[in-house]
Formats: sequence, C-alpha cells, structure tokens
Amino acid sequence: MPPETTLPGSAARSDTSAAELAGLDALDTPTVARTPWWRRAITVGLPPLVALVLSIVIWQILWAAAIWPEFKLPAPITVWQAVESRLVTGEVLSILWTSISRAFLGFLAALVIATPLGLLVAKVKVVRRAIGPLLSGLQSLPSVAWVPAAVLWFGLTDATIYFVVLAGSIPSIANGLVSGIDQIPPILPRVGQVLGARGLTSARHILLPAALPGYLAGCKQGWAFSWRSLMAAEIIAAGPLLGVGLGAYLKQGSDLNDISMVFSAIALILVVGIGIELLVFRPIERRVLRARGLAAGV
Amino acid sequence: MSTTTSAVPVNDVSATAVRLSGIGKTFGSGADAVTALQGVDLDVSAGEFVCLLGASGCGKSTLLNLVAGLDEPTSGELVRPTGSPSFMFQESALLPWLTAGRNVELPLQLSGLSRSARRARAADLLSLVRLDGMADKRPHELSGGMRQRVALARALAAATGPDGTGGGVLLMDEPFAALDAITRDVLQGELLRVWEATGTTIIFVTHDVREAVRLAERVVLLSSRPGTVVAEWQVTERHGAGGERLHDHITSRLRQVIASHAA
Repeated sequence: MPPETTLPGSAARSDTSAAELAGLDALDTPTVARTPWWRRAITVGLPPLVALVLSIVIWQILWAAAIWPEFKLPAPITVWQAVESRLVTGEVLSILWTSISRAFLGFLAALVIATPLGLLVAKVKVVRRAIGPLLSGLQSLPSVAWVPAAVLWFGLTDATIYFVVLAGSIPSIANGLVSGIDQIPPILPRVGQVLGARGLTSARHILLPAALPGYLAGCKQGWAFSWRSLMAAEIIAAGPLLGVGLGAYLKQGSDLNDISMVFSAIALILVVGIGIELLVFRPIERRVLRARGLAAGV
Repeated sequence: MSTTTSAVPVNDVSATAVRLSGIGKTFGSGADAVTALQGVDLDVSAGEFVCLLGASGCGKSTLLNLVAGLDEPTSGELVRPTGSPSFMFQESALLPWLTAGRNVELPLQLSGLSRSARRARAADLLSLVRLDGMADKRPHELSGGMRQRVALARALAAATGPDGTGGGVLLMDEPFAALDAITRDVLQGELLRVWEATGTTIIFVTHDVREAVRLAERVVLLSSRPGTVVAEWQVTERHGAGGERLHDHITSRLRQVIASHAA
C-alpha cells in the first residue's frame, strides 16, 4: 500500500477509530438488569403460594358452613389424612410410581415416534399434504375416545394404557416440531448454505437448533396430553392385570363413595402435573429461551 | 490507504477472482417470465473492492446469489477460480443459540477444522473486527453494530478458509443499511481497514452513492428490469473535491437510469 497520504498519520487515525468504535459499543450494548435469585423467588413463588393458601382457607370456610353434606365436600384435613395414611404404608408412592412411570415411558416412546414424523411432515411436501391435516385433527380428538377401541384390541392390559397415551401425545409433539420448523426465519437456512452446511449437516447445525423452542413447546404440551390420556385410560380401563395407578385409585374412591379419597386423587394428579411442568419443562425452556434472549416473561 | 489510479489498470496486475460473461437470469417461463439480469459482464480481480450500485429491481441480490452459487444463471458463463464465496446480509443473521465465538467458528467447523484451531482462528478474527473478549457473548447481548461485525468475522472465516491464507471473495448485500448513521459511518471505516488487512476481494451491493464512492475502488452502475451494467467508474481519490464531483456525477447517472423507467 502506498504510504503517501495527505491525511493525519494513519496510526493516529486508527487509534481514533478504535476509540470511536469502543465508545459506540459501550453506548449501544443492551443493558440487562439482573435481579437477585431471592427476589425472583419471592416475586415468582409467592403469588401462587398465597393463592393456594387462600383457596384452602375458602374450602375450609365452605366446609365449616356445612352447606353441603360431609360426603359431598370433605374437610381439607380429612383429605390430607387420606393421603397421609397411605403415605405411611407406602401405598401413595406405589400408586404415583405406577402412573408416573407409565406416563414417562409413554412420553419417551411418543418422542421417538413423533420427532422423525414431525421432521417428515415439515420437510416433505407430499407427506405434509397427506397427513398434516390429519395430525392437526388428531390433536383435537380427546384421547379418551380411543379407550373403548383399545380395550377391544388389547384387552385390559398395559398395552391399552400405552396405546391411549401415545395416541394422545404423538400429535402434539409432532405438530410442535412442525410449527417450530415453520417459524424458522428463512435467512437462517440460507446462512447455513453459504457457510457450507448441506443436507444432514444443515439439519444438525441449523434446522433442529432453530426449531428447538417450538419443539420444546410441543413436548410440554405432549407431556400434558400424555398425562391426561393416561388418567382417562386408568379410570376407564381397570382390571386385575393392571397395577393401581392414580386413575384407578380415583375410580376406587368413587366406587367406595369415599369423597376424601376422590379429592386426594385429584389433588395428587394436579400435583404431579404441575410438578413435572415446574421441575422438568420450565427449567429447560427457560434455559433455551434465555440463551437466545427470548425469555422476557419466563 | 490504497488508491488505484487509472494509469495502472488493476486487471493486468492481479488474477481474476470472479468473472461474469453475458450472465442472464430469467425467473419463470412463458408469458409470466421475469428477466432479472441480462448480458451482465463483470470482471473482479483478486483483492479488489467493487461496489454494485443500482435502484430497486436492478437484480443486485439476484446477481449476488448467482455469484454465491445459491442460484444458477439462465445464460452466460460464471467463473470463480477462488472457490465458493462467502456472504454477508443486511441483517447479521447470527445463529441466536450460539455465542459470538461459536458463530464465527461454524464455517470452520463445517470445513472440518479441529476445535482448538478454529477457536484460535475465531479469536483472531474477532480481534480483527475489534471485538476482543466478546467471544462468549450471545447475539442478543450485542448492539446492532457489534452483531454486524461478528457477521463480518464469520463471513471472513468462511471466505478465507481454514488456514486463513486463501484470498477469498466476500459478497455483501447492503450490510450497513439497517444501522444508524453514526454506526454506519464508523463501520464503513472499519470495513476498509479490515479489507486492507486481509486482502479479501469484496463485492458490495448498495443503493447509497456516497457509501459506494467512499468504499469502492470501482463503482458499477446497474440498470433495472432487466439489470445490466450501464457504467463503471474507477474511484481515484476517496477524499476531497474529486470524490465529491464523482459522487454528483454518479448520482445524476443513477437518476437518469431511474427516470428512464418512468414510461
């Protein structure tokens, strides 16, 4: 490069431009206010806790007012005793284990089936036209509708339960992946292409990570559906070959006219549903969205 | 500052980086066919900085896509001795799930470079665009100008290849158009500095005459619908009265071209 130039020394100029750039960077960088964990714990954890306590108080008041007979509305403490007495014997744990392990296994199987299915529907036009509408339609079909058919096909066995769980959760997971892929900004696959990613490499480095938020949302919904379907299946399909899960326990309570048992079963179903959401899906989702700067309200 | 005088033709002293002869591109067929480019001849020598200037519909982006190999020309011949060029867009198009450093590493990873080598190369490139120590930041933690510099570093990683010795061709599609005026001004200076430091061939698309005159060694004016080369200027002095005159001259030619589409 010819050094002759009428401008001020190029070294000095380069220094000024470096300083300008550093100044711009400092001014333009988005600032992120970090709240301490304990404050977040209070703002996030306190409202639902207060709501829970309040609803138990209202329940207690309604019970004390004796508007409904005892066999329709039990006292909170009676319901707790129903759980506690079975906690001591370990019965609750075995019931929970039966249901959670079924839901978990069913969910895993659904993942394994729904993920390639979703990829196919999203990326192959013919497949999308052929089974895309069916997949969305199945999502709105209550999976309890499958129970009678499954009982006729598989009898009162675990196969019936798993079939219903899969029928409930596969459409959600596959649809989640499809909409995740559909929402990828078109510039990203192009970037992958100019950077040298083709075919499977592109799927691994661009497509799947870009679709991850939608896929996770689908998984979350898929879990909710598989839990829901499982309860429906367990309530309807009860038999000696089937272990006692939460749904069967609920059914027993109803058969025995034991309202505190029914209430405790409903409470346990809720606790598991919320617990898995809070302990498993929320943290994963938070992590993924946070890393992308998308986690404003999560 | 590198200045080319018209007395020394660039094409004679350097190898060709990209050569387009009679390039045409038509989308669709029959009555609905749209001709985006027609008979485009353009020679870009290695290490040259060329600005393609044109109004909307001049097929600038189509032309870049052809040079990048993202699309095939309908007619004509395209020669790229230096291999596949790299691309920089108006948006930074960084992958939001990767850190700045991993974004720069990606093209190196795809070309099979080892982890430690690509990490070192990415750190060098980030330092070249004055983003030392920013490798662990996520795109959303950076300002627009910083993101665009990460994108520049990534494009350089792709253009110069794993060892960083290949001259490489960098295609830039209005990369500063979405930035504010101050940032754009500073980044134009930065781009010139990086270009001089790396010796990369740059084909830069813009519709801003001032930007073209400031950056390029050669400005190529394209007409619209179909796009074809109307005029070329060697930029001999980037600063001072000559640059100002050239700017006015190019602007008036651009207006003529645009006015000719009124009918």
